[in-house]
Amino acid sequence: MLEGVNQVGMHEWEVPVGYVPGMRVAGRFFLSESLAKTLEPGAVRQLANVATLPGILKNSLAMPDIHWGYGFPIGGVAAFSLEEGVISPGGVGFDINCGVRLLSTPLHVKDVSGRRDLIDELFRTVPTGVGARSSLKVSPQSLDGMMIKGAQWAVNAGYGVERDLMRCEEGGFMKAADNRSVSAKARQRGMPQGGTLGSGNHFLEIQVVREIFDPDAARAFGLSSGQVCCMIHCGSRGLGHQVCTDHLKILESATKKYHITIPDRQLACAPITSPEGKAYFGAMAASANYAWANRQMITHSARQVLSKMFRIDYEEMPLIYDVAHNVAKMEEHILDKKGVEVCVHRKGATRAFGPGSRDLPGDLTSIGQPVIIPGSMGTSSYVLRGTQTAMDMTFGSTCHGAGRIMSRTQAKKSLNGREITANLLKEGIIVRAHSESAIADEAPEVYKPSDEVVSVVHEVGISRLVARLSPLGVIKG
Amino acid sequence: MSFEEIPHTADVKIHASAPTLEALFSETFKALMLVIYGRSRNGGMTREIRIESTDSESLLADFLSEVLFISEVEGLVFSDARIRITGFSLVAELNGEPFDPVRHSGGTEVKGISYSGLEILHDANGYMLDIIFDV
Repeated sequence: MLEGVNQVGMHEWEVPVGYVPGMRVAGRFFLSESLAKTLEPGAVRQLANVATLPGILKNSLAMPDIHWGYGFPIGGVAAFSLEEGVISPGGVGFDINCGVRLLSTPLHVKDVSGRRDLIDELFRTVPTGVGARSSLKVSPQSLDGMMIKGAQWAVNAGYGVERDLMRCEEGGFMKAADNRSVSAKARQRGMPQGGTLGSGNHFLEIQVVREIFDPDAARAFGLSSGQVCCMIHCGSRGLGHQVCTDHLKILESATKKYHITIPDRQLACAPITSPEGKAYFGAMAASANYAWANRQMITHSARQVLSKMFRIDYEEMPLIYDVAHNVAKMEEHILDKKGVEVCVHRKGATRAFGPGSRDLPGDLTSIGQPVIIPGSMGTSSYVLRGTQTAMDMTFGSTCHGAGRIMSRTQAKKSLNGREITANLLKEGIIVRAHSESAIADEAPEVYKPSDEVVSVVHEVGISRLVARLSPLGVIKG
Repeated sequence: MSFEEIPHTADVKIHASAPTLEALFSETFKALMLVIYGRSRNGGMTREIRIESTDSESLLADFLSEVLFISEVEGLVFSDARIRITGFSLVAELNGEPFDPVRHSGGTEVKGISYSGLEILHDANGYMLDIIFDV
């Protein structure tokens, strides 16, 4: 482990105050001994930098998929006092509400195995990759609908069913959205991209439930062994990217205006109560809603393809759950035995609310929130459930994915997209992408083993394993 | 005058160096286009960008953010730029071609230009910087 970092429990490490100048609280992260071998000093410094921000509560936290990002580390979680605290786009990222959802189907693995035509049809139907534009026409009024009502707008417009909303974090939209704080430029970028996947690590994957760890939770979530599911991973597209860019600039001036000292320009921030802080939060929520609507529109396309090819009813493909990975939210948490509303930033981290939490649908109250953890291309994805331990230790948060260990430059040098595709095919996994370099960029080897990341959060108890899914086919940008 | 991609786990990190500030901006701009679209050529399409900012680093980040915006909404892939910088303001003439899904799908979308670690250094040999593109 890195010098100056102390082990304080099994898989639990502390970055003491003083690790970087100006820390107000200690940093804390979760990692196994073997995952610690790939921990970058830059990521720990970023975790410590977050601890210098005004109004931070308890600890600057990071999940076991911690890695070097910009501003916050990826895997970073921090909560701020509403009175003294700040809000920062560096704690959310450019891809606001990049997130993931899991859709179930009534199909069994034997119905879908080796069906290249399904993957081809999904690749034709869902626009992916650089420069992709939507075939669905989004009007300026519809764009406002996406920003204000998120997945609710999409369901009203015919892209889903009412029950889908019960299975989304926040019911599929944040009420705090303020589309007046979203620039004309952001709107212009968002308009042609509704229902598009994007590129990079975004994907749509057909998966099969291989293993059930918690039969009661799996039943409550609607998962059974051998069942075919569809996972969708994407975010707020150009609209969210532009909102982050625009508000970063505003918040840079605000940082100076409010005399806040920051160790990294990407941590530009403003008091939550300031006009600049409120404007960013409103625009960020509008972008988060756009992302929920976007995932709902892609879900609709996937359901249509599955429905047509396998003669199954649209209604037979209920949503298991939808979670955000990059977001700031006002949530109630217990501090000093009292319920207090705080602003939780999650950057590459997932909400993992435990049993009894408010935002859960009635039938999941006793189980906890479904947590969806995508694997990398070719490796397992996991469904977990939120726990009371997460509420106590991490402001109801857990990991979000595998976490990269190999840079893109190294991946491109040492891996060959065509070979990877051939090897995955031998394992029964069909890959479709626009370029071979996009495949090399996201090969299984570039990520931490997802099994190990989820076993850490399971053992620490900040979420518990429910099921493991493995890929059958994937479309990428 | 050059740029290279240097290892960064999550994102794309570029190291660029050039004899003048204008050339440094131009190299970084070319790196951005290469990351998103792969190779491109001058197809006779031109656009002009004017930016004013508060310091050199912000000027560069604002310029590249504007390039991202224009490229995405107008469906243009730029191959080179003629840049003039006066203080903290800039005029750039961009040359490029329309986006072609067959030739320009070799890269990955850039979501934003990060300020993390962005510092333009100047010595007797010229200018250099490291910059992170969020992908």
